[in-house]
Amino acid sequence: MSAQQPILHFPLGGKICLAPNEWQLWSGQDEGANSTLPNLEPGSQKVLVPFSWWRSHFHAHHQNTDVLAKAKNGQIGVWFAADEDVLKHAELIEEGKEYWPLVAAHFPIFRDGRSFSTAAILRDRLSWNKEIRMIGDVLIDQLLQGARVGFDSFELRQDQDLAVAQKQFDLFSVTTQNSWRDKRTVMSAL
Amino acid sequence: MYKYDHIDQTLVDQRVAQFRDQVARRLNGTLAEEEFRPLRLQNGLYHQRHAYMLRVAIPYGLLSSTQLRTLANISEKYDRGYGHFTTRQNIQFNWITLEDTPHILADLAKVEMHAIQTSGNCIRNITSDAFAGVAGDEYVDTRPVCELLRQWSTLHPEFAHLPRKFKFAVNGAKEDRTVLLCHDVGIELKKNKDGNHGELTNGLTADIYAGGGMGRTPILGSLIKQGLLWQLLPSYLTALLRVYNRFGRRDNLYKARIKILVKALGPEEFARQVEGEWLHLQNGDDNFTRAEWDRVAKHFTKPAYQTLPTLSNEQIIAKANGVDTVAFSRWLERNVKAHQIPGYASVILSLKPHGTVAPGDATTAQMNAIANLADQYSFGELRVTHEQNLVLADVEQAKLFELWQAAKQQQVALPNVGLLTDIIACPGGDFCSLANAKSLPIAKAIQERFDDLDYLFDLGDISLNISGCINSCGHHHVGNIGVLGVDKDGQEWYQITLGGEQGNDAAIGKVIGPSFYADEIPNVITNVINTYVQERNDDESFIQTYRRLGVTPFKEAAYKNKNNAEKSLGTAS
Repeated sequence: MSAQQPILHFPLGGKICLAPNEWQLWSGQDEGANSTLPNLEPGSQKVLVPFSWWRSHFHAHHQNTDVLAKAKNGQIGVWFAADEDVLKHAELIEEGKEYWPLVAAHFPIFRDGRSFSTAAILRDRLSWNKEIRMIGDVLIDQLLQGARVGFDSFELRQDQDLAVAQKQFDLFSVTTQNSWRDKRTVMSAL
Repeated sequence: MYKYDHIDQTLVDQRVAQFRDQVARRLNGTLAEEEFRPLRLQNGLYHQRHAYMLRVAIPYGLLSSTQLRTLANISEKYDRGYGHFTTRQNIQFNWITLEDTPHILADLAKVEMHAIQTSGNCIRNITSDAFAGVAGDEYVDTRPVCELLRQWSTLHPEFAHLPRKFKFAVNGAKEDRTVLLCHDVGIELKKNKDGNHGELTNGLTADIYAGGGMGRTPILGSLIKQGLLWQLLPSYLTALLRVYNRFGRRDNLYKARIKILVKALGPEEFARQVEGEWLHLQNGDDNFTRAEWDRVAKHFTKPAYQTLPTLSNEQIIAKANGVDTVAFSRWLERNVKAHQIPGYASVILSLKPHGTVAPGDATTAQMNAIANLADQYSFGELRVTHEQNLVLADVEQAKLFELWQAAKQQQVALPNVGLLTDIIACPGGDFCSLANAKSLPIAKAIQERFDDLDYLFDLGDISLNISGCINSCGHHHVGNIGVLGVDKDGQEWYQITLGGEQGNDAAIGKVIGPSFYADEIPNVITNVINTYVQERNDDESFIQTYRRLGVTPFKEAAYKNKNNAEKSLGTAS
């Protein structure tokens, strides 16, 4: 829930920078299935809601007007749990492109790589071209992998050294497989 | 063999720098051990009972003499004067310090080597036929595809934290020497003469087997894709690994391998899900190009073979001039294999001398000497076999006697390849912190018991594999005779399996019953072997006799001296 740690941004083709975190991460589980959004000051605060919560509170037959108003105002993004099957909800994600300024994918523990595939699928198959944020147990040594599969912003765990973190992205000047950021080096060499 | 270009070299150099920084952060305390662990494992560094163990990758088992000398130097400078060759064609050093590791990796990078992904929950070193490119029964030289896949899988970002480790094997020969069906993914390369193949495919296709493995749930892989054009391997494997990465179990370490997912879904459903993902990837630019093939394949052309006459065994033996002909003939029979080129042969140097410390070990001096033999007799190249021996692949038949004499001086000429004492064994409880029991003293005791070459030759082909725990690094499941170390109430016991086999008739051995104490094992093996000798028909191998008679007579023999049989542990679960 904390918004203290600045966010590391590494946009595609852009420069690495730190910026204050504008997005409050809401677990959605505080008050059970019918939980309501935290109060947001109009126009100033933004919240990342669980995708599962969005799914149950925002669909064609049940459009929560408060949520819709905030969403239309660009105040709502969604985060995907590691076990969320994004391909099952391709249509909802397609609709979400209209509202969400960003999405996030969660790492319950640093060594759980499922959200790498989530980000890759969002980029390759669902053509999500806005921000994808890495959240959860995000450590310095996952950043490079995250940046390559499709993440472009990173909410690191509070104890991580942001100065060291910022140096991770250019450790390698060559790659041997394609990624969201670049083609394998050999393609330009041959 | 493959030579790095600036891309490969830059990558390994930068990987060394990255790991140096990770080690520095570990040592200054900013990186916790729990969080460093996967990072060091992905660079081959285990923490064992006494020290760190570093596993160095030998991609598809191919090694130059220069590289072997570097390994020898590392064993002398940073270890205790030896290295251990593994069933996955790698080498391990058992007495490493964390502080030295970046220096070792830098030494390795200078000779185009690394330890990338030799451990951890990622795509591991790709293994293949130790005789690729020279085997008489080969239909496709697997090395270019292996090298392309090595590059593709190296530091693959999406698959850096899979549910569990992931092992590829690639076979292209009639006889499978890769234990293909015991791998997470087995790739069988074929050359199709029929049909209309585009210029790029060159008729080369792959059959894909998935979900094989050993460990506590041994399963043979299932065929999930036939006739895949070779250049589509990256997109197909991405789809396959993506399905595994997303849906493989992460709640239980012992159920996390892909075999459990394939078994749970059924091979057909797993294949369907992979196809579903692949549909969206197969036309992308992940796939290999002709230019990439050419870049890699040019390194696997034939060496400068001379035009030589094929020599008969009699002609080769005649080179011995009547000296040591019996011993030399035995070596020719067991340790020398047919070659594609007239006048050449492949030689297996046995790292299984009887009664030594560990199967697959080589000392610093042996490594240096073997590197010299490779230069002198085999174009400066070597291979590591799945059975933990070394191969000089391109030896002139006329020089076999000379080589044999030199190999004898290094104690690597024992003619026991494929015989009972050519034991596959993991380092076991002497080194490994996972092990329940020791493997090495068992191997030694069996070798000492059967230290009679006449008898071993009479017994013929038998494989005996020993694992110190159910992780099965000693591949006991596919040994004709398997020995598995188990822990019961803090004591070391050994379970026997029979009927396992690698190769085209791959089979998982069956547990015969209650386990034994260590000192009972040589007698148990003797009793099992005696049963074979009594029951065999002419020219029948151990496994053939076993298959004809079934387990009962062997089991009865194994327990005939056992009064207080332990309660059965049952089959592996």
